[in-house]
This record gives sequence, structure tokens and C-alpha cells, in this order.
Amino acid sequence: MIQLNDIKQMLLQQGYITDDSVVMSVYLSLQLNKPLLIEGPAGVGKTEIAKVMAKALQTELIRLQCYEGLDATHALYEWNYQRQLLHLKMTEHADQTIDEKEQTIFGDTFLMKRPLLQAITQNKKTVLLIDEIDRSDEEFESFLLEVLSEWQITIPEIGTIRASNIPQVILTGNRTRELSEALRRRCLYLYIDYPDFEKEYLIVKSRNKDIDAKLAEQVTRFMQQLRTMKLEKTPGIAETLDWATALAALHIDHLDKDIIGQTLGVIVKDWRDTRNVQMSLSELMEKTGIISKIDVA
Amino acid sequence: MMQRHTSLSANIVQFCRFLRTKNFSLGVEEETAILTALQCINYQNKDVFRVALKTLCCRSRQQLKEFDALFTQYWKELAEAVDAKIKTQQQQSAKSTAKDASFKSLKAWLNGNKSDEQEEVASYSVNENLSKKNFADVTGDEMEELMRTIKALSRRLAAQINRRYEKENRINLPDLRRTLRKNMRRGGELLELAFKKPKQNRTKLVVICDVSRSMELYAAFLLQFMYAFQHVYKRTETFAFSTSLQHITQLLKQHDFTAAMRLLGDKNEGWSGGTRIGKSLSAFVKDYANRYLDKKSIVIIMSDGWDTGDIELLQQSMQTIQYKSKKVIWLNPLAGYADYKPHVAGMKAALPFTTVFAPVHNAESLKSLSKWL
Repeated sequence: MIQLNDIKQMLLQQGYITDDSVVMSVYLSLQLNKPLLIEGPAGVGKTEIAKVMAKALQTELIRLQCYEGLDATHALYEWNYQRQLLHLKMTEHADQTIDEKEQTIFGDTFLMKRPLLQAITQNKKTVLLIDEIDRSDEEFESFLLEVLSEWQITIPEIGTIRASNIPQVILTGNRTRELSEALRRRCLYLYIDYPDFEKEYLIVKSRNKDIDAKLAEQVTRFMQQLRTMKLEKTPGIAETLDWATALAALHIDHLDKDIIGQTLGVIVKDWRDTRNVQMSLSELMEKTGIISKIDVA
Repeated sequence: MMQRHTSLSANIVQFCRFLRTKNFSLGVEEETAILTALQCINYQNKDVFRVALKTLCCRSRQQLKEFDALFTQYWKELAEAVDAKIKTQQQQSAKSTAKDASFKSLKAWLNGNKSDEQEEVASYSVNENLSKKNFADVTGDEMEELMRTIKALSRRLAAQINRRYEKENRINLPDLRRTLRKNMRRGGELLELAFKKPKQNRTKLVVICDVSRSMELYAAFLLQFMYAFQHVYKRTETFAFSTSLQHITQLLKQHDFTAAMRLLGDKNEGWSGGTRIGKSLSAFVKDYANRYLDKKSIVIIMSDGWDTGDIELLQQSMQTIQYKSKKVIWLNPLAGYADYKPHVAGMKAALPFTTVFAPVHNAESLKSLSKWL
């Protein structure tokens, strides 16, 4: 049986720096076989958990990206209509009864499996990531409830397909819309916030093995400070990592005003924010400790 | 499953009951899950025990925030051998008396104090009660939550779609007529399918809001509603008036509500002053009616009808507005009171020209706005 510590090790091995609540959530969701709902701001590593879990469990990650207007057909299955028609055309003169023909065209060859069907028909337990569930419509959310509790899908032409292996489900969201109480109750809940300095520093170091220690520290401090500003789009860990990678690739070992100005586009993705950050750059750098007042003088 | 009724399992059940009184939605299913989970963790370790319970009991960020304190409280009381029977939660009687308090909270909220923003409603019932609460009675604590309700509401209202369909490329509803037409050249073999989707609503909305002193308690909410609504429903024009009319569509397009409100405040020293509905509406008719009104537009006027100006002018303007538009909806915050009668002169004069007269005193009434749109 997997123990709590195993999960921690497993996540660490995959380069995912984490804390107790994340480990506990992942562990319990595996033990109780319950979906895990992860919320938090963009870029803090919600989706990453699913990827890491799939890797650690050595299984496939099946991803369903939600969007407004997503409906059951896109999530479950579709018949390849054109192919069915062509097949019928081609076999028009074959000696087949209508029943036989029908059997062929409603067979596996013409069935396009979408993520949910894929996930439950695998031979192995998979990790099913339902990304940004809050972007989908309420109807879809309700539909999902049914699938998540029954683990079976009915295709009128074929019959009911029962899950051979119940997948490990991870749902993510960043609060575009309030999720229903019903969905929440079926899941374990985890909120991931922006990391504190130590955690973020560790993440930067572990992802960029050859990054200069001083640069890593400066980058992390700057990002921590940046997040205290009132921004339209607060940068997440993903941005920190991109920035650190970019700076390392440019062979830079410390930050200065010019470098930050030139590479600001990597971390700030909104023009108002860019303007605001540019304007308060000196102040930010001083607070970060990249330059001290004595240096300026 | 734990078979025996041990002190631990009894405590867990008790703890869940305690949490239920704090608006955690925990049922038998959750209790079972907790007991099952405890079998596979080392619950002798207090931290592990706490984190596990936290993971199993919380369903929202708000609950995560509250949990640790509740956990400590419960086990402390238990340790002190206090009678563990949970007292019914004390009625929250923190009814703020000063209306300034609510505005202070509104201001803090508007200033983007996001970290403290109450992000989740613990249970449905809370939300329900609040949405029925008169805007005038909302306390400081409830302000943020109500604001969120209003935001969500405006989004839902704007998503109302009508019953006509338009062409679409995505697989959605099949459009038989166009499918047949498209495939005629192949002798009627249906190779290509055409799809349709509900047509976006083309109704134009013109919202005119009274921000005079008598509306002070409501205007903050209504402006917030208009702001949120305009951001999701593009075909909206907004106006505000007290002694004179102002076109505020552009102002409300500001990215940030605080900035928008500041700009509004800068331009209007006369805000929260007396009301000249007639004068303001006639200014609307003169300057904007031709541009913004047609038989597809719905005019929403939010006002209590207290007019200190020319009643005849009000009548004439209302008549024109009614004539030029599809519908005139008058939303009156005072109409929410059970014994309200529209006896005010301004209201009396305007009533014959309105299609719908409805209250707008709480979130619930804003919700029912969809009936008229």
C-alpha cells in the first residue's frame, strides 16, 4: 500500500516541490478513489499535479480541456460521419444484408473516442485531467456529475460501456464561475496559492539546475515583490520559471534595471501592468534588494 | 470501515456535527470517508491528523481558511472536558447600525482588497437569505458577498439568448434546411452537415440610474450591477442622473471599478443631491433618444420617483421614450416594501408610460429582471 511519504517522494522525484496539504490531498484522493478538485490562481501548478501524478503512477494522462459551449459529444464520443458514409458508398454492391452493414458502421472503426470515453476504456488506471472546469457551462458540469458517479457511458448504437478501470480524476479551476455544491461534495478540495519565498526558490533551483544561485534568489525575490503589486494578471510560478530559464539562457548572473526592462515581457502579460511595473521599477528593485540606496548614490 | 463504536469514531462524528453548525456541508458520506481515510494514515501524529481532516472536510477556500481555528477550538474544548454537545450557534446579531460601515466595506472591496475577499459562500442557505435582503439593510460583512452575487447575476442575465438560430461551424445543433440545400448538388447525398446555434440576443439596453440622495443606499449596488452587466453585455448604454443627466457608458468601460467611480465622482459634484427626473429624462430624449432608441431597445429606469422638478416635463419625456422603444421597465427600490404605493407625484406621472414596474431592492429582485428582458 502506498504511504504518505511515498507520495511526497514521488512528487519530489518528478521535480514537484510541495507542502503537506498537497501531499495529503493527492494521497487521500488515491486512497479513497475520489476526484480531486484543485483551485487557485493561474500559473501556480494546478495542471502540473495531474501531469506529475500520471508520471509517478506510470500511466497515461488524458486531458479534457473545458471551454464555454463544451458539450457531451465533445467530451464522450462522436461517430465519424463522413467515413461511415464513404464506407457505405464503397460497399454499396457488396453482398451484405442491411443488418450486417449497420453492424460495421457502428463499430469501433468509426467511433471517435473523446477523453471521457478514452479514460474509462483503458486497460490501465489512467489519470484524467478535467482542466478549467469552471469555464464549461453549468449543463456540462451536471452531465459530468453523472459520469463521475456512475462510471459508465451509454452509446445508443452499442450499449452501455462500463469503466474497466476507474480513472484518477483531477479537476482544476480558477474561479471564473462558482462551481456547484454537488460537484464540490463529490471531490476532495485543494487550494494552491502563490508560493512563499522558500518554496519558490526551491522550485526555481530544482527546475534550472545550472542557474546561478544569486540570480535565482534575485529572481524569486523580485517575483515575490511583484505579486504584492496590484496587477491585472499576477504572474505565477510558470512565469518565474520562464524568466529564470530565459535569463540563464542569456548567461546573466545578476539582475539590473536594463535587463529587467528588456525581459519584462516574459513575466508581465498585460500592457497596463507593463506600464505600471516600468514606472515603479526602481522602487520594486530597491524593495527587492537588488540595488540599495548606496548603489544609486 | 470502523466497526466498533470507538471514542475516535464518536469524536469524528461529533466534530462533523460541530462543523455543520459552521456551515460545512458534511453528511454521512463524508463521515464515512473520514473514518475510512483514518485507517490509512498515522493519526497519532497530530499534524497529519489535522491536515487529513482538513482535506476531507473542506470544500472551498473559505472553509480552508476557517478550518484550523475551528479544529483547535473543538479539540481544546474536548480536552477541557467541556460538555461536547454543540450549542446551537449564536445568532449573528451583528447588525451594523451605522450605514457608513457598509460604505467603508464597499470602499475596501472596491479598492481591490482581493486577498481578503470572501471568496466562497459556505452554503446555499446563506446565499439565499442574503439575496433576499434589502440593499438598505446589508451590513458591512455581507457587502462583499452580495457584490459577488451581483457580478454572477449580471453574467447570467447577459447570457440570456433568444430562440432564433444562426449558422455555426462547430458541431452543435444540426441545421436540416441548410444541410439539404448544401448537399443538393450531390444529388441529395448528405455528405456535409450544417449546424446552427442560438442567435445572440440583439436587444439593446439603455439603463438610466438615479443617483440622487434619496437613492444613496441603493445607487452603490445599482452602479456595480450596471458596471458588471455592461462588461458582459456589450449592447448596453448607461446613464446616471441626479440634477442633470450624464452618459457614463465610456466611464464604466474602465478596467477597474474604483477608477471608474473616481472619474464619475470627479465630474459630478452634484451627485447625491436633489432629483430632477423630468429634466434629466428630457435631456436624454433630446440628446440621445434618436441615437440609442429603436423598437429593439429596452429602457430600464432605476429610480424611486422622488422628483423635485417639473412633473409635466417628466410626463412628456416618458411618453417619447415609451413611443420610441420596445419596453420601458421602471425599477423602484421602495417597491420592495410590502405596503408601498406609488403615491409620489413623479412616480404617478411616469407609471402610465411604463411596461413593467418592479422592485429592485435586493439581489433576488435583480434576478427576476430576466423575466422582463
